[in-house]
Amino acid sequence: MNAELPLSSTLPGSTAPRGYWLLKGRLGSRQLSVLVPRRSVAVNLTLLVLTLAAATASLCMGSMSLSPAEVWTALWGEGPALHKLVVQELRLHRVLAGFATGAAFALSGCLMQTLARNRLATPGIIGIDNAATAFAVASVIGTGIALAPPAMSLVGAATATALAFGLSGDNGSRGYRFIIAGVAIGAISGAITQFMLSRVAIDDANAAFPWTVGSLNARSKEATLLLGAALLPCLLLALRWASSLRLVQVSEAVSIGLGINLKRVRRNGLILSVLLTGLAVAVAGPVGLVALIGPELARTLCRHRGVPLLASTLCGALLMLLADLTGRMMLAPLEIPVGIVTAVVGSPYLLWMLLNPSFRSQP
Amino acid sequence: MISSLPPYRLIPPPLAAGFLLFIICIASLLLGAGDVTPADALPVLFGGGSDEARFIVLELRMPRTLVALVVGAALGCAGALMQTLSRNPLAEPGLLGISAGSSFAVAVMLMLGASAATLTVYVSQLGALAGCLIVLSAARIQGVGNDPIRLVLAGATLTGLLLSMTSLLLMFDQRSADEIRFWVTGSVAGRDLDDLYHLLPSLAVAIILMLIVIRPLAALSLGERAAQGLGHKPGRIRLITVLVVALLVGAATAMAGPIIFVGLVVPFIARAIAGPDIRRTLWLCLPIGPIILIVADILSRLLVSPAELPLGVLTAIIGAPVLLLVVRGKRMPAL
Repeated sequence: MNAELPLSSTLPGSTAPRGYWLLKGRLGSRQLSVLVPRRSVAVNLTLLVLTLAAATASLCMGSMSLSPAEVWTALWGEGPALHKLVVQELRLHRVLAGFATGAAFALSGCLMQTLARNRLATPGIIGIDNAATAFAVASVIGTGIALAPPAMSLVGAATATALAFGLSGDNGSRGYRFIIAGVAIGAISGAITQFMLSRVAIDDANAAFPWTVGSLNARSKEATLLLGAALLPCLLLALRWASSLRLVQVSEAVSIGLGINLKRVRRNGLILSVLLTGLAVAVAGPVGLVALIGPELARTLCRHRGVPLLASTLCGALLMLLADLTGRMMLAPLEIPVGIVTAVVGSPYLLWMLLNPSFRSQP
Repeated sequence: MISSLPPYRLIPPPLAAGFLLFIICIASLLLGAGDVTPADALPVLFGGGSDEARFIVLELRMPRTLVALVVGAALGCAGALMQTLSRNPLAEPGLLGISAGSSFAVAVMLMLGASAATLTVYVSQLGALAGCLIVLSAARIQGVGNDPIRLVLAGATLTGLLLSMTSLLLMFDQRSADEIRFWVTGSVAGRDLDDLYHLLPSLAVAIILMLIVIRPLAALSLGERAAQGLGHKPGRIRLITVLVVALLVGAATAMAGPIIFVGLVVPFIARAIAGPDIRRTLWLCLPIGPIILIVADILSRLLVSPAELPLGVLTAIIGAPVLLLVVRGKRMPAL
């Protein structure tokens, strides 16, 4: 879990420092040794259990309450037909979509924060979400461009990122110019989305509304499948680059000195991040604060100075599932879109973070 | 020394801006979608014209021009005051969450069943005041007011929070949701002139307060010590300025919905012409604000005619590049 190579290569036979496990092995002729922080293992396992618990709760709760045992039998295609319909057709898809979008947003946020060396550089804040939404809305209401929403939302995410980098002329590691450029791009995209919605018939606009604030209600099966298929390879790739990312986070000079191809790491990480955000927006709309809070929570929990990629992913999924469950249950039968729940809970945290005098932008 | 000035500097900028505003107002009355050509509309201004032209010019275009005039002036001045007060060239009512505060207040009132336009104005001003106080006091207590960009990010976060809470409220009530959905994008079209009259008392109060506070505010922009040395009380100046900003923004938002970036662009232009002294820029903001807003409104009518672009969309598209321009400057211009 979260296996990261230590900064200095440990000599074979040396003992592990406190709080770490030293795993040694052989792969063909290569001798491998990996330091595993014990705390990360514990945190990741706990998060996994919590996420599974939240998923089970989402499957059980709703306008029709089911016991976990009933859910379990219905999942395997047994039990009453009604249970099967509710669990398999309605709730399972929603839970999977929530898991995947939360995980994708948080992983993407963690990558971007690390690459920009700025905790505020998350897709939501720098306007990638809004741009992806604007493009996807254009596709939904059909403005002459015949690309499916996921593809359009990818195009939007990539455009916004390119604009943010191009307009600010820096990569976020020096000051906030990058982020303000993103705020401006987000504002324009938001205005364009509003404009498109105000031009279509009111029924279409009402149908698109939950999606523009971020909701798991408007998900399409294709978009979810696409995101699910992309998530695991992206996570594995990101974990593979964890050690380089960690060095980039520490210092640019040091990572160049240690022979890391900085440009390539940046480019690859950014591509992953944009890919994940675009696909996730196509499923659930802009739920950007998960991308900020997931990694923050993971960093607080893991307490080590590395890049908690796996923990961030799990935190994001957990947060998304909980937010969706809250939104569904709090005012049932009315449903609060998950984007509103995360904004109401997450914004005060972000405000507190920004107004904290000891705030450091570096993760 | 007049002879050494280039010819265009012979006319004082406020006068030139006023003249430009006059021309643009006329253009706003003459131009628009529909069958009435400018040639048809011109006689109406002199009391003639066909019935159709009279209706379109006097009943449709005149109110929105007047509304844009008032709203533009209010937002421009509010932006200039806010920027001087926080000594931050990015401080803008829309970006700092002040407009969102008044939207939220109006949504709450609509939820509770109020529909009278009279009430809306004062509620909206109260909301603006609350938003203003939250952002500024948070920034002052924590001492991050000196970091312009952090203040803007805090304001953007507050805006996001308030907008989500507004949407949350609207979910309960489909009736107010339909009522407010177009208002939220910001527009000067289809407003009643009667609504404009409700604004006048509070705008008069705002102007009187503005006249009182402008000299002390100019002193405060030199720094707290300097202002105290000149015999002013910084706390009181701040309070009055915040009050004026809230009155102006609240009135503008009640009238036209949240229109962002006007308060950023207008002082930016005014400063470029008249320099950083608030005593000069403020009077220049008075014509420049309406110029920008009326031009945006004309564009919103013409660009996609016969349909109409929401005004808020156009101001965002005009304003966001200015935001980038301010940030891209080698050094943030200190106020």
